[in-house]
Amino acid sequence: MSDDELRIHPLNLTAQIDHRAAGNPPSTLPESAISNAYPGLEFDIRNIWRRLLVGIELHEADNYVVDADADHERLKGRRLLAVAGHDVIGDLVGPTRPGADPGPLTSAVNPDGVMMLEWSNSLADVLADHAGETVTCLFTSGPAPNPVGKPAKVPDPSVEEVELEVRSLFAHSEAAGGPLPVIAEEMAGPGDLTRGLCSPWQNDYRECACYYWAASRPDYVNVELTGLGTSTGNHWFAKDREPREYVLDNRTDSRLVSYDDLFRDWQGRLRFIVGGDDAPEHVETEPGDR
Amino acid sequence: MTAILELRILPPLAIGRLGAATEPMDNYTAELDPDEPLAPRVLVPAPTLRVDRTSGEIVDDEVPEELRFTDGHGKVKPVAPFVEVWALTEELVLRPLTMELLRANKVEPKDVRWRTRVGNHKIERRTYDLKDRVDADTGWFTDHGEHALTGRCANFLADKTLPLGHVRYIKPTAEYPGIRLRFTPAGGYVYGSGGMIGEHDPNVVDALYDSTKGTWRGHVDKPGDPRLTIPNSIYAGDDGPHGTWISRGYLDDECDGLVDVELTVGGRKLTAYGRIGAGPPAYAPDSVPVRTIADELDQALFGPRAGDHDTPEDAHKVAEEVLRRALESVRLMNTAVMNGNTVDGRVDAASTMVRQDSADTGRTFEPIMAPSLVDTAAVFALHQDVLAALRSGTAPWFADVLRDYDEVGDLTAKGRRKMPALMRGADGRSLALTRRQVDLVRKAARQEIFRQGQGADESGGPG
Repeated sequence: MSDDELRIHPLNLTAQIDHRAAGNPPSTLPESAISNAYPGLEFDIRNIWRRLLVGIELHEADNYVVDADADHERLKGRRLLAVAGHDVIGDLVGPTRPGADPGPLTSAVNPDGVMMLEWSNSLADVLADHAGETVTCLFTSGPAPNPVGKPAKVPDPSVEEVELEVRSLFAHSEAAGGPLPVIAEEMAGPGDLTRGLCSPWQNDYRECACYYWAASRPDYVNVELTGLGTSTGNHWFAKDREPREYVLDNRTDSRLVSYDDLFRDWQGRLRFIVGGDDAPEHVETEPGDR
Repeated sequence: MTAILELRILPPLAIGRLGAATEPMDNYTAELDPDEPLAPRVLVPAPTLRVDRTSGEIVDDEVPEELRFTDGHGKVKPVAPFVEVWALTEELVLRPLTMELLRANKVEPKDVRWRTRVGNHKIERRTYDLKDRVDADTGWFTDHGEHALTGRCANFLADKTLPLGHVRYIKPTAEYPGIRLRFTPAGGYVYGSGGMIGEHDPNVVDALYDSTKGTWRGHVDKPGDPRLTIPNSIYAGDDGPHGTWISRGYLDDECDGLVDVELTVGGRKLTAYGRIGAGPPAYAPDSVPVRTIADELDQALFGPRAGDHDTPEDAHKVAEEVLRRALESVRLMNTAVMNGNTVDGRVDAASTMVRQDSADTGRTFEPIMAPSLVDTAAVFALHQDVLAALRSGTAPWFADVLRDYDEVGDLTAKGRRKMPALMRGADGRSLALTRRQVDLVRKAARQEIFRQGQGADESGGPG
């Protein structure tokens, strides 16, 4: 189809986000980018939520207020606990001894045994139902560098209710009368979406031995079944693919690509994986095949 | 005349991927094999726009014979996305902005103005020093040459800049009349800090940061500071006293930012912007992550709940896609290790959710699933069976085992076994899908159960 024949309905926002411009491979699309951002690979997408509430700036990955305008200066350093009746924290529960019954997981720095719930999910109702409106936000009544739970009842001296306006996450179309499928500039400026990523990113490929992004940063490759019905294969970082065994990463094993290897020559060290195996371009030609 | 009411840049978020090869990555598609629906997606070469280096024109769109992700000389081909300008016209449709549409509105390609602003604020995020921001701004331009994204920073050494790639307004032609810009990301190099005579660090290609001006080299994330990145201390460094992690002062050439376009039509200035970013290559290009940025945007646009506009077919498609993605992740994970099994006699053998849960919360250390059940081959086969059943019209029973977003702190044995298992989410605990993904899967399950209860033919799926 020629350019002159292509059409998209202006309110079909999904089609616009998913639009593959001519010549673009799938790896250019948001669908190719991980969003279990801890902190992320392509983007630390948690950053789009920091400015959702007018007057304060939230930590991208915590319910901590890092900054505030003059009218809300007192909120700086406090913790946000709920927005429009939706909690942004949850309980930590589990056993502390093998076989023991689960209970609250508390500690000296987390006496209430709570955790922040990622913004994308905990604020989803707020964005859907209250963008452009003023809502009641529940904050701790004082500075709270450590996690804090929500009191059983409100009002309570430990918390303060504050009315704040909810911004829209997306830019607005005057002509079509609705959101545009692009994150508004006031929500994230240049550099905001990558600022939380590892510096340099090559370090993160090694740093925490993170295998939580296997579809982008593989872990276990060239996998085959053994006679026992179990699997064997290579660690993606294995310098040599034979023997076909998984070398456990203790961060010092010289059989695996090191930090310095990545800093100096990640392009020569890391292999693309297709169908679970090294891409054909990485497979060495056997001498007999030449 | 077809009057232009508004401009848009599509896609609104385009991802570039770093690489130092001269030629950018070719185009391809990732397709399901209808004969082998459980097999990996097949990468198929697709029409690739080749840009003349001198003129900035597209000269052909041939399909490459084979796909290569590297140049054969140790360099990765950068993924260099095009962004297109689309116009909302008086017919209230979006259509590509082309030379013909420009002519119809009495303007020309040279009247289209572009600007690109990108930043790399990784250092500033750690040091809180605004002078550590690296920013590039092309200013407005209308020509078709390459415009370097030259990263400047107040704390750089004199005359040093960080190359963040370049952008180019592709010159439209009769054969390729669309108005588009191409972003070519940087080479993926590591840079260092200098300021002292005689230093040489083989890990970096150049020293840019002036350690006599700024604090990045030698920086330490201070324990207890609630503003730290989460996780903290994620930068190249070395062990220091008292368990500290001391920055080596490295930086990379990733970036993100905005592409602005401007056109004045009939005395009215029309503007639009899109976003670009540069990240590492997608090293398993036939796989899709379980939860993606597209899912984030989808939930932010349409809310956390499936609505009437979400058809049963849509819901079923999401359920199948979630499962296929899970299959693709499992294919590339050593699930026995990730489960926290004792491997080769080693307890706590790797960085896993088992380790993280214990370290972060004091939960007792124990594998998530029964250790004998979690070899990658077995888990992969299980996911294949479920996908096969779903494709044949069976209700997606796995809707019942999906983790809800507010259950991520449930570290009981049962809670940790919910799906997706073994993976870390954006809040540091086990991954939950977006609430919208979960609700769509559950909607598909409800529809199937209802449909099967009505005695429908069970031989095929919906749609």
